[in-house]
Amino acid sequence: MTSTVSASGLSLHYGRTRALDDVSLRLTPGVTGLLGPNGAGKTTLLRVLATAVPADRGAFTVLGHDPGTSRGRQEVRRRLGYLPQTPGFHPDFTAFEFVDYVAILKELADRRERHREVRRVLEEVDLADVRGRRIKKLSGGMRQRVALAAALVGDPGFLVLDEPTVGLDPEQRMRFRELIAGAGEGRTVLLSTHQTEDVAMLCHRVIVMADGAVRFEGTPAELTARAAGRVWSSTEKDPGAKAGWRTGTGSFRNVGDPPPGAEPAEPTLEDGYLLVLDDADTEVAA
Amino acid sequence: MRIEDSRHRDAWHVDEDDLRAYARGELAAPALWSADAHLTACAACRGTLSEVSDAAALAAGWERLDAELDAPRPGRFERLLMRCGASDGTARLLAATPVLRRSWFGALAAVLLVTFLVAVSAGAAGRPTLFLACAPLLPLVSVALAYGPALDPTYEMAVVSPMHGFRLLMIRTSAVLVVALAVGGLASLALPGFGPAALAWLLPGLALTVTGLALTPRLGPVLAPSLLVGAWSAVLLAADLARASADGPLAPFTAAGQGVSGLVAAVGAGLLFLFRDRFDVSVRGTV
Repeated sequence: MTSTVSASGLSLHYGRTRALDDVSLRLTPGVTGLLGPNGAGKTTLLRVLATAVPADRGAFTVLGHDPGTSRGRQEVRRRLGYLPQTPGFHPDFTAFEFVDYVAILKELADRRERHREVRRVLEEVDLADVRGRRIKKLSGGMRQRVALAAALVGDPGFLVLDEPTVGLDPEQRMRFRELIAGAGEGRTVLLSTHQTEDVAMLCHRVIVMADGAVRFEGTPAELTARAAGRVWSSTEKDPGAKAGWRTGTGSFRNVGDPPPGAEPAEPTLEDGYLLVLDDADTEVAA
Repeated sequence: MRIEDSRHRDAWHVDEDDLRAYARGELAAPALWSADAHLTACAACRGTLSEVSDAAALAAGWERLDAELDAPRPGRFERLLMRCGASDGTARLLAATPVLRRSWFGALAAVLLVTFLVAVSAGAAGRPTLFLACAPLLPLVSVALAYGPALDPTYEMAVVSPMHGFRLLMIRTSAVLVVALAVGGLASLALPGFGPAALAWLLPGLALTVTGLALTPRLGPVLAPSLLVGAWSAVLLAADLARASADGPLAPFTAAGQGVSGLVAAVGAGLLFLFRDRFDVSVRGTV
Protein backbone atom coordinates (compact mmCIF):
# COMPACT_ATOMS: atom_id res chain seq x y z
CA MET A 1 0.00 0.00 0.00
CA THR A 2 1.30 3.48 -0.87
CA SER A 3 2.47 5.40 2.19
CA THR A 4 0.77 8.71 2.93
CA VAL A 5 3.21 9.84 5.63
CA SER A 6 6.87 9.06 5.34
CA ALA A 7 9.64 10.10 7.75
CA SER A 8 13.35 9.40 7.78
CA GLY A 9 16.03 10.14 10.35
CA LEU A 10 13.95 12.43 12.58
CA SER A 11 15.95 13.58 15.61
CA LEU A 12 15.16 16.19 18.21
CA HIS A 13 16.93 17.25 21.40
CA TYR A 14 15.60 19.39 24.24
CA GLY A 15 18.83 20.62 25.76
CA ARG A 16 20.73 17.46 26.59
CA THR A 17 17.62 15.28 26.49
CA ARG A 18 17.32 13.18 23.37
CA ALA A 19 13.59 13.21 22.63
CA LEU A 20 13.75 11.65 19.16
CA ASP A 21 16.60 9.49 17.92
CA ASP A 22 16.78 8.85 14.20
CA VAL A 23 13.11 7.93 13.78
CA SER A 24 12.03 6.61 10.40
CA LEU A 25 8.53 5.35 9.62
CA ARG A 26 5.90 5.00 6.95
CA LEU A 27 2.16 5.34 7.52
CA THR A 28 -0.62 4.10 5.27
CA PRO A 29 -4.38 4.82 5.32
CA GLY A 30 -6.08 3.33 8.38
CA VAL A 31 -5.28 3.59 12.10
CA THR A 32 -1.67 3.10 13.17
CA GLY A 33 -1.09 2.71 16.91
CA LEU A 34 1.89 4.30 18.61
CA LEU A 35 2.76 2.48 21.83
CA GLY A 36 5.45 3.26 24.36
CA PRO A 37 6.03 4.04 28.02
CA ASN A 38 6.06 7.59 29.42
CA GLY A 39 9.04 9.52 28.08
CA ALA A 40 9.39 7.25 25.05
CA GLY A 41 9.08 10.21 22.68
CA LYS A 42 5.55 9.52 21.42
CA THR A 43 4.21 13.03 22.03
CA THR A 44 7.36 14.60 20.61
CA LEU A 45 7.04 12.50 17.45
CA LEU A 46 3.37 13.47 17.10
CA ARG A 47 4.20 17.16 17.61
CA VAL A 48 6.88 16.98 14.93
CA LEU A 49 4.59 15.19 12.47
CA ALA A 50 1.82 17.71 13.29
CA THR A 51 4.30 20.51 12.42
CA ALA A 52 4.07 22.02 15.92
CA VAL A 53 7.85 21.77 16.40
CA PRO A 54 10.55 21.28 13.79
CA ALA A 55 12.98 18.36 14.10
CA ASP A 56 16.69 19.09 14.52
CA ARG A 57 17.48 16.59 11.78
CA GLY A 58 15.64 14.40 9.32
CA ALA A 59 12.71 15.00 7.00
CA PHE A 60 9.17 13.85 6.43
CA THR A 61 6.32 14.29 4.00
CA VAL A 62 2.57 14.24 4.58
CA LEU A 63 0.34 13.40 1.63
CA GLY A 64 3.12 14.44 -0.72
CA HIS A 65 3.90 17.77 0.97
CA ASP A 66 7.19 18.65 2.64
CA PRO A 67 6.67 20.76 5.79
CA GLY A 68 10.29 21.88 5.64
CA THR A 69 9.22 25.00 3.74
CA SER A 70 6.70 27.61 4.80
CA ARG A 71 4.41 26.81 1.86
CA GLY A 72 4.75 23.06 2.36
CA ARG A 73 4.02 23.41 6.07
CA GLN A 74 0.82 25.27 5.28
CA GLU A 75 -0.23 22.60 2.78
CA VAL A 76 0.38 19.90 5.40
CA ARG A 77 -1.63 21.84 7.96
CA ARG A 78 -4.55 22.15 5.53
CA ARG A 79 -4.68 18.36 5.49
CA LEU A 80 -4.05 17.82 9.19
CA GLY A 81 -6.33 17.13 12.14
CA TYR A 82 -4.57 17.24 15.50
CA LEU A 83 -5.84 16.29 18.92
CA PRO A 84 -3.11 17.22 21.44
CA GLN A 85 -2.48 15.23 24.60
CA THR A 86 -4.14 17.88 26.76
CA PRO A 87 -6.39 19.84 24.41
CA GLY A 88 -7.06 23.33 25.71
CA PHE A 89 -10.46 24.95 25.53
CA HIS A 90 -11.95 28.34 26.03
CA PRO A 91 -14.36 27.19 28.72
CA ASP A 92 -16.83 30.01 28.14
CA PHE A 93 -17.33 28.98 24.53
CA THR A 94 -20.10 26.59 23.63
CA ALA A 95 -19.13 23.38 21.84
CA PHE A 96 -20.32 24.97 18.58
CA GLU A 97 -18.36 28.19 19.15
CA PHE A 98 -15.18 26.33 19.99
CA VAL A 99 -15.29 24.12 16.91
CA ASP A 100 -16.23 27.20 14.88
CA TYR A 101 -13.13 28.95 16.28
CA VAL A 102 -10.92 26.05 15.15
CA ALA A 103 -12.67 26.12 11.76
CA ILE A 104 -11.71 29.79 11.41
CA LEU A 105 -8.11 28.90 12.22
CA LYS A 106 -8.41 26.25 9.50
CA GLU A 107 -9.24 29.02 7.04
CA LEU A 108 -12.91 28.19 6.47
CA ALA A 109 -13.71 31.79 5.68
CA ASP A 110 -17.28 31.54 4.42
CA ARG A 111 -19.52 31.77 7.45
CA ARG A 112 -22.29 29.58 6.02
CA GLU A 113 -19.98 26.84 4.80
CA ARG A 114 -18.11 26.96 8.09
CA HIS A 115 -21.24 26.58 10.17
CA ARG A 116 -22.37 23.70 8.00
CA GLU A 117 -19.02 21.99 8.52
CA VAL A 118 -19.13 22.60 12.29
CA ARG A 119 -22.57 21.04 12.43
CA ARG A 120 -21.36 18.07 10.39
CA VAL A 121 -18.40 17.25 12.65
CA LEU A 122 -20.44 17.73 15.83
CA GLU A 123 -22.95 15.24 14.44
CA GLU A 124 -20.09 12.90 13.54
CA VAL A 125 -18.95 12.77 17.17
CA ASP A 126 -22.54 12.59 18.39
CA LEU A 127 -22.57 15.98 20.09
CA ALA A 128 -25.20 17.76 18.01
CA ASP A 129 -27.59 17.82 20.95
CA VAL A 130 -25.20 19.66 23.26
CA ARG A 131 -23.72 22.02 20.69
CA GLY A 132 -25.08 25.05 22.56
CA ARG A 133 -23.77 23.98 25.95
CA ARG A 134 -20.73 25.73 27.41
CA ILE A 135 -17.61 23.57 27.39
CA LYS A 136 -17.06 24.04 31.12
CA LYS A 137 -20.38 22.27 31.68
CA LEU A 138 -19.49 19.23 29.55
CA SER A 139 -18.12 15.97 30.97
CA GLY A 140 -14.52 14.93 30.30
CA GLY A 141 -15.61 12.46 27.65
CA MET A 142 -17.72 15.06 25.89
CA ARG A 143 -14.86 17.58 25.94
CA GLN A 144 -12.62 15.00 24.39
CA ARG A 145 -15.22 14.50 21.65
CA VAL A 146 -15.37 18.27 21.13
CA ALA A 147 -11.61 18.21 20.62
CA LEU A 148 -11.99 15.32 18.17
CA ALA A 149 -14.69 17.25 16.31
CA ALA A 150 -12.29 20.21 16.08
CA ALA A 151 -9.61 17.89 14.69
CA LEU A 152 -12.06 16.54 12.08
CA VAL A 153 -12.99 19.99 10.74
CA GLY A 154 -12.16 20.25 7.06
CA ASP A 155 -12.07 16.46 6.55
CA PRO A 156 -8.30 16.11 7.08
CA GLY A 157 -6.42 13.33 5.31
CA PHE A 158 -3.99 12.89 8.22
CA LEU A 159 -5.30 12.70 11.78
CA VAL A 160 -2.92 12.83 14.74
CA LEU A 161 -4.44 11.73 18.06
CA ASP A 162 -2.32 11.96 21.21
CA GLU A 163 -3.65 9.63 23.91
CA PRO A 164 -7.29 10.53 23.35
CA THR A 165 -8.63 7.78 25.63
CA VAL A 166 -6.65 8.76 28.74
CA GLY A 167 -8.88 9.65 31.66
CA LEU A 168 -12.04 8.26 30.09
CA ASP A 169 -14.16 5.66 31.84
CA PRO A 170 -14.57 2.26 30.11
CA GLU A 171 -17.87 3.19 28.46
CA GLN A 172 -16.53 6.50 27.16
CA ARG A 173 -13.40 4.72 25.97
CA MET A 174 -15.47 2.24 23.97
CA ARG A 175 -17.45 5.08 22.44
CA PHE A 176 -14.29 6.93 21.56
CA ARG A 177 -12.83 3.82 19.96
CA GLU A 178 -15.87 3.59 17.70
CA LEU A 179 -15.35 7.21 16.67
CA ILE A 180 -11.66 6.65 15.94
CA ALA A 181 -12.47 3.53 13.92
CA GLY A 182 -14.94 5.61 11.89
CA ALA A 183 -12.40 8.41 11.47
CA GLY A 184 -9.83 5.90 10.21
CA GLU A 185 -11.93 4.96 7.19
CA GLY A 186 -10.29 6.56 4.18
CA ARG A 187 -7.74 8.61 6.08
CA THR A 188 -4.40 8.09 7.80
CA VAL A 189 -4.67 8.13 11.59
CA LEU A 190 -1.73 8.02 14.00
CA LEU A 191 -2.99 7.14 17.46
CA SER A 192 -0.69 7.43 20.46
CA THR A 193 -1.86 5.34 23.39
CA HIS A 194 -0.84 3.50 26.54
CA GLN A 195 -3.62 0.99 26.03
CA THR A 196 -2.70 -2.16 24.14
CA GLU A 197 -6.46 -2.84 23.90
CA ASP A 198 -6.79 0.33 21.78
CA VAL A 199 -4.22 -1.07 19.37
CA ALA A 200 -5.70 -4.57 19.35
CA MET A 201 -9.18 -3.24 18.58
CA LEU A 202 -8.43 -0.37 16.21
CA CYS A 203 -5.10 -0.56 14.47
CA HIS A 204 -3.90 -2.24 11.32
CA ARG A 205 -0.30 -1.24 12.10
CA VAL A 206 1.58 -0.61 15.31
CA ILE A 207 4.79 1.23 16.17
CA VAL A 208 6.52 0.76 19.53
CA MET A 209 8.84 3.50 20.78
CA ALA A 210 11.28 3.57 23.67
CA ASP A 211 13.96 6.14 24.54
CA GLY A 212 13.08 8.26 21.52
CA ALA A 213 13.61 5.47 18.99
CA VAL A 214 11.34 3.11 17.06
CA ARG A 215 11.75 -0.39 18.49
CA PHE A 216 9.09 -2.17 16.47
CA GLU A 217 7.02 -1.47 13.39
CA GLY A 218 4.56 -3.98 11.97
CA THR A 219 1.08 -5.40 12.30
CA PRO A 220 -0.51 -6.15 15.69
CA ALA A 221 -0.30 -9.85 14.77
CA GLU A 222 3.44 -9.53 14.19
CA LEU A 223 3.87 -7.82 17.56
CA THR A 224 1.90 -10.61 19.22
CA ALA A 225 4.05 -13.17 17.39
CA ARG A 226 7.12 -11.69 19.09
CA ALA A 227 5.87 -13.39 22.24
CA ALA A 228 5.20 -16.80 20.68
CA GLY A 229 6.79 -19.46 22.87
CA ARG A 230 7.87 -16.86 25.45
CA VAL A 231 4.77 -16.80 27.65
CA TRP A 232 4.02 -19.39 30.31
CA SER A 233 1.89 -19.92 33.38
CA SER A 234 3.05 -20.93 36.83
CA THR A 235 1.64 -21.16 40.32
CA GLU A 236 4.37 -18.85 41.67
CA LYS A 237 6.04 -15.90 40.02
CA ASP A 238 8.97 -17.22 38.03
CA PRO A 239 12.15 -15.40 39.14
CA GLY A 240 13.66 -15.96 35.70
CA ALA A 241 10.84 -14.16 33.89
CA LYS A 242 11.36 -10.70 32.46
CA ALA A 243 7.88 -9.78 33.71
CA GLY A 244 5.26 -11.68 35.66
CA TRP A 245 1.87 -10.86 37.10
CA ARG A 246 -0.99 -12.65 38.84
CA THR A 247 -3.99 -13.23 36.61
CA GLY A 248 -7.65 -13.39 37.54
CA THR A 249 -7.43 -17.17 37.90
CA GLY A 250 -4.79 -16.84 40.60
CA SER A 251 -1.94 -18.26 38.52
CA PHE A 252 1.04 -16.21 37.38
CA ARG A 253 1.57 -15.21 33.78
CA ASN A 254 5.26 -14.89 32.90
CA VAL A 255 6.98 -13.53 29.81
CA GLY A 256 10.62 -14.05 28.92
CA ASP A 257 12.63 -17.15 28.23
CA PRO A 258 10.63 -20.05 29.69
CA PRO A 259 12.35 -22.67 31.85
CA PRO A 260 12.26 -26.31 30.71
CA GLY A 261 8.88 -27.90 31.26
CA ALA A 262 7.01 -24.60 31.58
CA GLU A 263 3.34 -24.62 30.73
CA PRO A 264 3.06 -22.43 27.58
CA ALA A 265 0.31 -19.83 27.29
CA GLU A 266 -1.28 -18.11 24.29
CA PRO A 267 0.62 -14.86 23.61
CA THR A 268 -1.16 -11.51 23.45
CA LEU A 269 -0.28 -8.12 22.01
CA GLU A 270 0.60 -6.94 25.51
CA ASP A 271 3.12 -9.78 25.90
CA GLY A 272 4.77 -8.85 22.63
CA TYR A 273 4.87 -5.17 23.67
CA LEU A 274 6.51 -5.99 27.02
CA LEU A 275 9.15 -8.11 25.34
CA VAL A 276 9.95 -5.39 22.80
CA LEU A 277 10.38 -2.90 25.65
CA ASP A 278 12.55 -5.36 27.56
CA ASP A 279 14.73 -5.91 24.50
CA ALA A 280 15.03 -2.11 24.19
CA ASP A 281 16.11 -1.84 27.86
CA THR A 282 18.70 -4.55 27.35
CA GLU A 283 20.01 -2.76 24.27
CA VAL A 284 20.29 0.57 26.13
CA ALA A 285 22.02 -1.10 29.10
CA ALA A 286 24.50 -2.76 26.74
CA MET B 1 -54.96 35.04 7.21
CA ARG B 2 -51.72 34.13 8.84
CA ILE B 3 -49.84 35.96 6.14
CA GLU B 4 -51.88 39.08 6.67
CA ASP B 5 -51.46 38.73 10.41
CA SER B 6 -47.72 38.52 10.13
CA ARG B 7 -47.70 41.54 7.79
CA HIS B 8 -49.66 43.47 10.38
CA ARG B 9 -47.28 42.43 13.15
CA ASP B 10 -44.11 43.34 11.29
CA ALA B 11 -43.87 46.80 9.85
CA TRP B 12 -40.57 45.96 8.15
CA HIS B 13 -40.20 43.29 5.46
CA VAL B 14 -37.27 42.11 3.42
CA ASP B 15 -36.92 44.02 0.17
CA GLU B 16 -37.80 41.94 -2.89
CA ASP B 17 -34.42 42.52 -4.53
CA ASP B 18 -32.77 41.37 -1.33
CA LEU B 19 -34.97 38.27 -1.36
CA ARG B 20 -33.85 37.51 -4.93
CA ALA B 21 -30.21 37.95 -3.88
CA TYR B 22 -30.92 35.77 -0.84
CA ALA B 23 -32.31 32.99 -3.01
CA ARG B 24 -29.22 33.17 -5.22
CA GLY B 25 -27.01 33.01 -2.13
CA GLU B 26 -25.59 36.41 -2.97
CA LEU B 27 -27.00 38.52 -0.16
CA ALA B 28 -24.16 39.79 2.01
CA ALA B 29 -24.06 40.45 5.74
CA PRO B 30 -25.49 42.34 7.58
CA ALA B 31 -28.56 42.39 5.26
CA LEU B 32 -28.21 38.61 5.14
CA TRP B 33 -28.49 38.29 8.92
CA SER B 34 -31.53 40.54 8.97
CA ALA B 35 -33.14 38.42 6.26
CA ASP B 36 -32.31 35.20 8.13
CA ALA B 37 -33.83 36.47 11.33
CA HIS B 38 -36.89 37.93 9.63
CA LEU B 39 -37.65 34.94 7.40
CA THR B 40 -37.97 32.63 10.37
CA ALA B 41 -40.79 34.77 11.74
CA CYS B 42 -42.50 36.13 8.63
CA ALA B 43 -44.65 33.81 6.52
CA ALA B 44 -45.36 36.63 4.06
CA CYS B 45 -41.70 37.09 3.19
CA ARG B 46 -41.21 33.35 2.96
CA GLY B 47 -44.07 33.33 0.45
CA THR B 48 -42.50 36.16 -1.55
CA LEU B 49 -39.18 34.34 -1.43
CA SER B 50 -40.72 31.26 -3.00
CA GLU B 51 -42.28 33.45 -5.73
CA VAL B 52 -39.01 35.16 -6.68
CA SER B 53 -36.75 32.12 -6.61
CA ASP B 54 -36.56 28.92 -8.55
CA ALA B 55 -36.94 25.66 -6.66
CA ALA B 56 -33.27 24.64 -6.61
CA ALA B 57 -32.06 28.01 -5.42
CA LEU B 58 -34.81 28.06 -2.83
CA ALA B 59 -33.82 24.64 -1.52
CA ALA B 60 -30.22 25.82 -1.20
CA GLY B 61 -31.46 28.92 0.60
CA TRP B 62 -33.43 26.86 3.12
CA GLU B 63 -30.40 24.67 3.70
CA ARG B 64 -28.30 27.73 4.44
CA LEU B 65 -30.99 29.10 6.71
CA ASP B 66 -31.19 25.77 8.49
CA ALA B 67 -27.44 25.75 9.08
CA GLU B 68 -27.60 29.32 10.28
CA LEU B 69 -30.43 28.67 12.71
CA ASP B 70 -28.30 25.91 14.14
CA ALA B 71 -25.49 28.33 14.89
CA PRO B 72 -25.66 30.02 18.26
CA ARG B 73 -25.92 33.79 18.34
CA PRO B 74 -22.47 35.36 18.82
CA GLY B 75 -21.74 36.53 22.35
CA ARG B 76 -21.95 40.15 23.47
CA PHE B 77 -18.22 40.73 23.11
CA GLU B 78 -18.18 39.33 19.58
CA ARG B 79 -21.22 41.39 18.57
CA LEU B 80 -19.49 44.50 19.89
CA LEU B 81 -16.37 43.75 17.84
CA MET B 82 -18.50 43.14 14.74
CA ARG B 83 -20.25 46.46 15.25
CA CYS B 84 -16.79 48.03 15.38
CA GLY B 85 -16.13 46.64 11.90
CA ALA B 86 -14.42 43.31 12.64
CA SER B 87 -15.44 40.35 10.47
CA ASP B 88 -17.20 37.51 12.26
CA GLY B 89 -14.06 35.38 11.95
CA THR B 90 -11.80 38.05 13.42
CA ALA B 91 -14.32 38.70 16.19
CA ARG B 92 -14.31 35.00 17.08
CA LEU B 93 -10.49 34.88 17.04
CA LEU B 94 -10.36 37.82 19.43
CA ALA B 95 -13.14 36.49 21.63
CA ALA B 96 -11.19 33.23 21.87
CA THR B 97 -8.53 35.02 23.85
CA PRO B 98 -9.98 35.58 27.31
CA VAL B 99 -6.61 36.90 28.44
CA LEU B 100 -6.98 39.53 25.75
CA ARG B 101 -9.97 40.94 27.56
CA ARG B 102 -8.14 40.60 30.85
CA SER B 103 -5.16 42.44 29.40
CA TRP B 104 -7.50 45.18 28.19
CA PHE B 105 -9.08 45.56 31.58
CA GLY B 106 -5.65 45.30 33.19
CA ALA B 107 -4.36 48.05 30.92
CA LEU B 108 -7.32 50.24 31.78
CA ALA B 109 -6.85 49.68 35.50
CA ALA B 110 -3.09 50.29 35.28
CA VAL B 111 -3.47 53.57 33.43
CA LEU B 112 -6.16 54.82 35.76
CA LEU B 113 -3.96 53.98 38.73
CA VAL B 114 -0.86 55.60 37.25
CA THR B 115 -2.83 58.67 36.19
CA PHE B 116 -4.14 58.96 39.71
CA LEU B 117 -0.63 58.64 41.13
CA VAL B 118 0.62 61.28 38.71
CA ALA B 119 -2.20 63.61 39.59
CA VAL B 120 -1.37 63.41 43.29
CA SER B 121 2.42 63.34 43.01
CA ALA B 122 3.43 65.34 39.94
CA GLY B 123 2.80 68.72 41.44
CA ALA B 124 6.12 68.96 43.25
CA ALA B 125 8.27 67.64 40.41
CA GLY B 126 6.42 69.65 37.81
CA ARG B 127 6.74 66.84 35.24
CA PRO B 128 4.72 63.64 34.62
CA THR B 129 7.86 61.52 35.04
CA LEU B 130 6.22 58.64 36.85
CA PHE B 131 3.48 58.45 34.23
CA LEU B 132 5.99 58.61 31.37
CA ALA B 133 8.12 55.91 32.97
CA CYS B 134 5.23 53.49 33.52
CA ALA B 135 3.04 54.12 30.46
CA PRO B 136 5.45 52.57 27.86
CA LEU B 137 5.25 49.29 29.75
CA LEU B 138 1.49 49.23 29.28
CA PRO B 139 1.40 48.07 25.63
CA LEU B 140 4.41 45.80 26.19
CA VAL B 141 2.80 43.94 29.08
CA SER B 142 -0.65 43.95 27.46
CA VAL B 143 0.66 42.35 24.28
CA ALA B 144 2.71 39.83 26.27
CA LEU B 145 -0.42 38.87 28.20
CA ALA B 146 -2.35 38.25 25.00
CA TYR B 147 0.06 35.77 23.46
CA GLY B 148 1.88 32.58 24.24
CA PRO B 149 1.43 28.97 25.25
CA ALA B 150 1.11 29.74 28.95
CA LEU B 151 -1.85 32.05 28.43
CA ASP B 152 -3.66 30.68 25.39
CA PRO B 153 -5.22 27.28 26.19
CA THR B 154 -5.59 26.51 22.49
CA TYR B 155 -2.04 27.57 21.60
CA GLU B 156 -1.03 24.10 20.38
CA MET B 157 -4.10 23.80 18.14
CA ALA B 158 -3.57 27.33 16.81
CA VAL B 159 0.09 26.69 16.00
CA VAL B 160 -0.68 23.72 13.73
CA SER B 161 -3.56 25.46 11.96
CA PRO B 162 -3.09 26.68 8.39
CA MET B 163 -3.59 30.28 9.52
CA HIS B 164 -0.07 31.67 9.80
CA GLY B 165 0.97 32.20 13.42
CA PHE B 166 2.26 35.66 12.58
CA ARG B 167 -1.12 36.69 11.20
CA LEU B 168 -2.87 35.51 14.34
CA LEU B 169 -0.29 37.31 16.45
CA MET B 170 -0.77 40.54 14.50
CA ILE B 171 -4.59 40.35 14.81
CA ARG B 172 -4.34 39.97 18.57
CA THR B 173 -1.49 42.45 18.96
CA SER B 174 -3.33 45.09 16.93
CA ALA B 175 -6.43 44.64 19.06
CA VAL B 176 -4.42 45.00 22.26
CA LEU B 177 -2.37 47.92 20.98
CA VAL B 178 -5.42 49.85 19.84
CA VAL B 179 -6.94 49.59 23.30
CA ALA B 180 -3.69 50.09 25.24
CA LEU B 181 -2.66 53.12 23.17
CA ALA B 182 -6.13 54.61 23.25
CA VAL B 183 -6.37 54.20 27.01
CA GLY B 184 -2.87 55.59 27.51
CA GLY B 185 -3.66 58.47 25.16
CA LEU B 186 -6.82 59.31 27.06
CA ALA B 187 -4.87 59.24 30.30
CA SER B 188 -2.37 61.66 28.74
CA LEU B 189 -5.20 63.98 27.78
CA ALA B 190 -6.36 63.82 31.36
CA LEU B 191 -3.13 65.62 32.27
CA PRO B 192 -3.64 68.83 30.27
CA GLY B 193 -1.23 70.76 32.49
CA PHE B 194 1.71 68.91 30.95
CA GLY B 195 0.73 69.56 27.33
CA PRO B 196 2.16 67.36 24.50
CA ALA B 197 4.97 66.23 26.83
CA ALA B 198 2.48 63.82 28.39
CA LEU B 199 2.46 61.89 25.09
CA ALA B 200 6.21 61.26 25.15
CA TRP B 201 5.59 57.67 26.29
CA LEU B 202 4.10 56.63 22.94
CA LEU B 203 7.28 55.99 20.95
CA PRO B 204 9.14 54.25 23.80
CA GLY B 205 6.01 52.15 24.30
CA LEU B 206 5.96 51.11 20.64
CA ALA B 207 9.70 50.43 20.66
CA LEU B 208 9.41 48.20 23.72
CA THR B 209 6.39 46.32 22.34
CA VAL B 210 7.87 45.65 18.92
CA THR B 211 11.25 44.67 20.38
CA GLY B 212 9.51 42.38 22.86
CA LEU B 213 7.68 40.59 20.04
CA ALA B 214 10.84 40.35 17.93
CA LEU B 215 12.69 38.70 20.84
CA THR B 216 9.84 36.33 21.74
CA PRO B 217 10.67 33.46 19.32
CA ARG B 218 14.22 33.33 20.72
CA LEU B 219 13.65 34.09 24.40
CA GLY B 220 10.05 32.97 24.92
CA PRO B 221 6.90 34.94 25.70
CA VAL B 222 7.77 35.48 29.38
CA LEU B 223 11.50 36.14 29.39
CA ALA B 224 11.47 38.57 26.43
CA PRO B 225 9.05 41.15 27.93
CA SER B 226 10.52 40.61 31.42
CA LEU B 227 14.00 41.47 30.18
CA LEU B 228 12.66 44.56 28.46
CA VAL B 229 10.93 45.74 31.62
CA GLY B 230 14.31 45.42 33.34
CA ALA B 231 16.12 47.15 30.48
CA TRP B 232 13.64 50.03 30.44
CA SER B 233 14.06 50.49 34.21
CA ALA B 234 17.85 50.50 33.79
CA VAL B 235 17.61 53.10 31.01
CA LEU B 236 15.46 55.32 33.20
CA LEU B 237 17.82 54.99 36.16
CA ALA B 238 20.82 55.78 33.99
CA ALA B 239 18.98 58.74 32.46
CA ASP B 240 18.13 59.98 35.93
CA LEU B 241 21.79 59.84 36.99
CA ALA B 242 22.89 61.60 33.81
CA ARG B 243 20.24 64.30 34.04
CA ALA B 244 21.76 67.79 34.07
CA SER B 245 19.24 69.25 36.46
CA ALA B 246 16.59 67.75 38.70
CA ASP B 247 13.90 69.65 36.79
CA GLY B 248 15.03 68.58 33.31
CA PRO B 249 13.29 65.77 31.37
CA LEU B 250 14.76 62.27 31.34
CA ALA B 251 16.72 61.49 28.17
CA PRO B 252 14.12 59.09 26.64
CA PHE B 253 11.55 61.89 26.74
CA THR B 254 13.71 64.49 25.01
CA ALA B 255 13.61 65.00 21.24
CA ALA B 256 16.78 62.93 20.81
CA GLY B 257 15.40 60.18 23.02
CA GLN B 258 12.20 60.10 20.99
CA GLY B 259 14.27 59.75 17.83
CA VAL B 260 16.11 56.77 19.29
CA SER B 261 12.81 55.19 20.33
CA GLY B 262 11.43 55.66 16.82
CA LEU B 263 14.55 54.09 15.34
CA VAL B 264 14.38 51.11 17.71
CA ALA B 265 10.69 50.65 16.87
CA ALA B 266 11.43 50.70 13.12
CA VAL B 267 14.36 48.25 13.41
CA GLY B 268 12.29 46.01 15.70
CA ALA B 269 9.40 46.02 13.23
CA GLY B 270 11.79 45.08 10.42
CA LEU B 271 13.26 42.19 12.42
CA LEU B 272 9.81 41.07 13.47
CA PHE B 273 8.71 40.88 9.84
CA LEU B 274 11.94 39.18 8.81
CA PHE B 275 11.56 36.46 11.43
CA ARG B 276 7.77 36.11 11.09
CA ASP B 277 8.03 32.40 10.21
CA ARG B 278 9.37 31.70 13.71
CA PHE B 279 5.89 32.39 15.06
CA ASP B 280 4.60 29.54 12.92
CA VAL B 281 5.91 26.80 15.21
CA SER B 282 5.76 26.27 18.96
CA VAL B 283 8.16 28.04 21.22
CA ARG B 284 10.75 25.33 21.98
CA GLY B 285 10.40 23.59 25.30
CA THR B 286 6.75 24.43 25.77
CA VAL B 287 3.77 22.10 26.16
